[in-house]
Amino acid sequence: MRSNKFGTRIASSALALAVSFGAQAVTDQDIMNDENTPEDIVTYGMGLKGQRFSTLDTLTRENVEYLQPVWAFSFGSEKMRGQEAQPMVKDGVMYVTASYSRVYAIDVKTGDELWQYDARLPDGIMPCCDVVNRGVALYNDKVIFGTLDAKLVALNKDTGKPMWIKKVEDYQAGYAITAAPMVINGNVITGVSGGEFGIVGKVEAYDANTGELVWTRPTVEGHMGYVYKDGKAIENGISGGEAGKTWPGDMWKNGGAATWLGGTYDADTNSIFFGTGNPAPWNSHLRPGDNLFSSSRIAIDPDDGSIKWHFQTTPHDGWDYDGVNELISFDYSDNGKTVKAAATADRNGFMYVLNRENGDFIRGFPFVDKITWAEGLDPKTGRPIFAEGGRPGDPSVTDNAKGEQVLAQPAFLGGKNWMPMAYSQNTGLFYVPSNEWAMDIWNEPVSYKKGAAFLGAGFTIKPANDDYIGVLRAMDPKTGEEVWRYENTAPLWGGAMATAGDLVFTGTPEGYLKAFDAKTGEELYKFNTGSGVVGTPVTWVMDGEQYVSVLSGWGGAVPLWGGEVAKVVKHFNQGGMVWTFKLPKDRVASK
Amino acid sequence: MKHVTLLLLILACANLWAQEVDDGNDLLNRPADRTYDRILESGYLKVGVYENFPPYSYAEDGEPKGVDVELGRRIAKELGVEFRVHWITPDENLGDDLRNNVWKGHYLAKQRLADLMMRVPYDKQYAYMQDSTGEYINEQVVMFGPYQQETWQIAYDPNRLDSVETVAVFQYHPIGVEIDTLPDFYLSSGLRGRLREQVHHYRTISEAFNAMRQGDVSAVMGMRAEIDHELSKPANAHFQRAGNGFPGIGKQVWDVGMAIKHTHRQLGYALESIVDGLVRTGELHALFAGLNLDYSVPNYYQKFLEPKALARAGGEEQ
Repeated sequence: MRSNKFGTRIASSALALAVSFGAQAVTDQDIMNDENTPEDIVTYGMGLKGQRFSTLDTLTRENVEYLQPVWAFSFGSEKMRGQEAQPMVKDGVMYVTASYSRVYAIDVKTGDELWQYDARLPDGIMPCCDVVNRGVALYNDKVIFGTLDAKLVALNKDTGKPMWIKKVEDYQAGYAITAAPMVINGNVITGVSGGEFGIVGKVEAYDANTGELVWTRPTVEGHMGYVYKDGKAIENGISGGEAGKTWPGDMWKNGGAATWLGGTYDADTNSIFFGTGNPAPWNSHLRPGDNLFSSSRIAIDPDDGSIKWHFQTTPHDGWDYDGVNELISFDYSDNGKTVKAAATADRNGFMYVLNRENGDFIRGFPFVDKITWAEGLDPKTGRPIFAEGGRPGDPSVTDNAKGEQVLAQPAFLGGKNWMPMAYSQNTGLFYVPSNEWAMDIWNEPVSYKKGAAFLGAGFTIKPANDDYIGVLRAMDPKTGEEVWRYENTAPLWGGAMATAGDLVFTGTPEGYLKAFDAKTGEELYKFNTGSGVVGTPVTWVMDGEQYVSVLSGWGGAVPLWGGEVAKVVKHFNQGGMVWTFKLPKDRVASK
Repeated sequence: MKHVTLLLLILACANLWAQEVDDGNDLLNRPADRTYDRILESGYLKVGVYENFPPYSYAEDGEPKGVDVELGRRIAKELGVEFRVHWITPDENLGDDLRNNVWKGHYLAKQRLADLMMRVPYDKQYAYMQDSTGEYINEQVVMFGPYQQETWQIAYDPNRLDSVETVAVFQYHPIGVEIDTLPDFYLSSGLRGRLREQVHHYRTISEAFNAMRQGDVSAVMGMRAEIDHELSKPANAHFQRAGNGFPGIGKQVWDVGMAIKHTHRQLGYALESIVDGLVRTGELHALFAGLNLDYSVPNYYQKFLEPKALARAGGEEQ
């Protein structure tokens, strides 16, 4: 028998490779523990709770001025628009998405590209929700992300080659995916983005290794949820019990409630939290009722997709106040008792603190300066007390004439839009990127759609103040007080991050990455990245030095709308870069 | 089997878009500036029509069909150039469609524009609409050449309904509509919402007719040509046209014409005179009749044509 040395060599090197892959593979443990491991970032939200709080305290108010760029990376091509992603960092590699469903692996020491993946988007695709993408999920040897044509794609983390691709929904029916997925116990959890009408939101779990569907949970009352076993769909209860309780006619069949911003997870209660979008159609007069589970937060069992509880922020939404905003778990002490709470800042202008075990309302308060659509919240239930005359009129009632104009504040783009807030475990404050704007809504006297007469609404967004729209706020979740604020000329559209060094980072459309004192709001640092920052910064430690990364590339929803706001932002240039900064070792001393 | 169907569907879709001319500027990533002279020189006319929108424009076995497609072919022939289809995926409103297909291009397909877009309502009030700062909203396009008048129509199943005298019967009988259309809004809010529970929503009029055949709804409301097209199918032969009115609908009838980019007016004048001829000679009426569709002369012509000329345009033998 001839010995096959070549074969042996291959076998042993394959083994070595497998071992090294095993060592670098992202495990469930890594994901669950991400918020405590500052040397890597393996979850969207820097921890599944989405607190975006780093335990790193090397960077402080004393030395942040020495934060300096290490490398910058261009996404290339002409697709310079709307870079809203959060980078991930694992074992010396950064995984980040760019707009138009692109993924990049970058050597985090040098900024060299390791691989790039461009999803092939179908001809004639018209994504509902711009071309943004908010990031990847990491699991095992895979980098998983959602595409504009509503697919989940799992790439090999070392080669960037697809390992599985699953269609989550039909893009032709108006679906897309822009949020970063998350992985809970080996399952990829994703929601869907969708156009105004005809879609139904849902949350789904896919086996991260194979891409097989594990469960599906529709977010509109009346639709059946399923668990999949051996390729068979097993009924797992109708969302909300039955159809027609909070919707008229068959409107629940197309009720909207898109889950377009992804979710967070709390291990204490083993719950996935998702926000849901506005109900359809836009004309609220056609759909009397609460229209569950639109504009709500829902707690979902990660094992089978059952809904544990829900809390609706805007019942019978008539302003496009979507309720997708992230729900962030945090604990606080109340008379020596630990309260398992969760907070969310809604597009409707109110911030809510809920009991995350059962969804009970603890307290709610405005986080914007003015709210016109509601007089306040019911102190017991948190349900809004609608303001008289605050709801846009029924277009069917006004024939061929410009209907009565309603001024609504916040505007439909929200007191806070998609951009995630951060929670500091040090200060106990939430740092909320928000905007002060209002909208006029009226019924169009003449409107057409697809060759036919139609009833449309017209609207225009306008700044609430002459000199600023964006406001970064430090909000105390125990009192509802605004502890400090930073006012920005352009609307804020990027996420926030807090650190144990008592710093808060965020970006501005003017192009700056900025750092603030977490306690006072004093601006301590700014660096112009060359294009608007609408992504979310991250920080990690490598070789004993603290790094910060953020995407630069103006875009997203703001430039899509005209009116007075356009005057503030129209001269901003688009872009597509990753910027990485660090505090050099020799500067730490100045601490 | 399901996979085979899906594959065929994908192939069909790919085929649909592959028929189009790709004449944009790759380097500068912008559409070709196709003036009248350049269109004649190139030998083709890109006619923008809505996809999957029978009887106006749709594909059958990969072949563009429908009233708007046929009219597009006639126009191209009169210009002496080839007809090339440009499929339009409808956006939320007409303004979006004009931006994506006539003057600017969609942000995912910046090189892709139609030379001419069909089925654009001809309405001076709409054309000269101003925004809150006084700017003309539609200043980037010219809307011209009305070729048809469209209106609303209900078809019903006589086995379930004796007749439709008024829409009030739909307090008691289910009616199908295409989702997010005026009939949807009209019936869902009409009579103070008393019809609301009976309104069933479908993606297309064709799906609504399927539901009527299965007995899920007793009637369907849509545009007259859509309803007529369905009624001309043998499977729907037992359904009938209703004669009711639509009290409270702001727009009972509207003219339908075309749109071009505002810098291409010379093309517009040429197209206008071609379509004007087709309307006046009754050829458009014949085109509609050939597809089993009723034809109404645009209100634009009704205002100034002599009764005899009007009758001719309306297809009455001279």
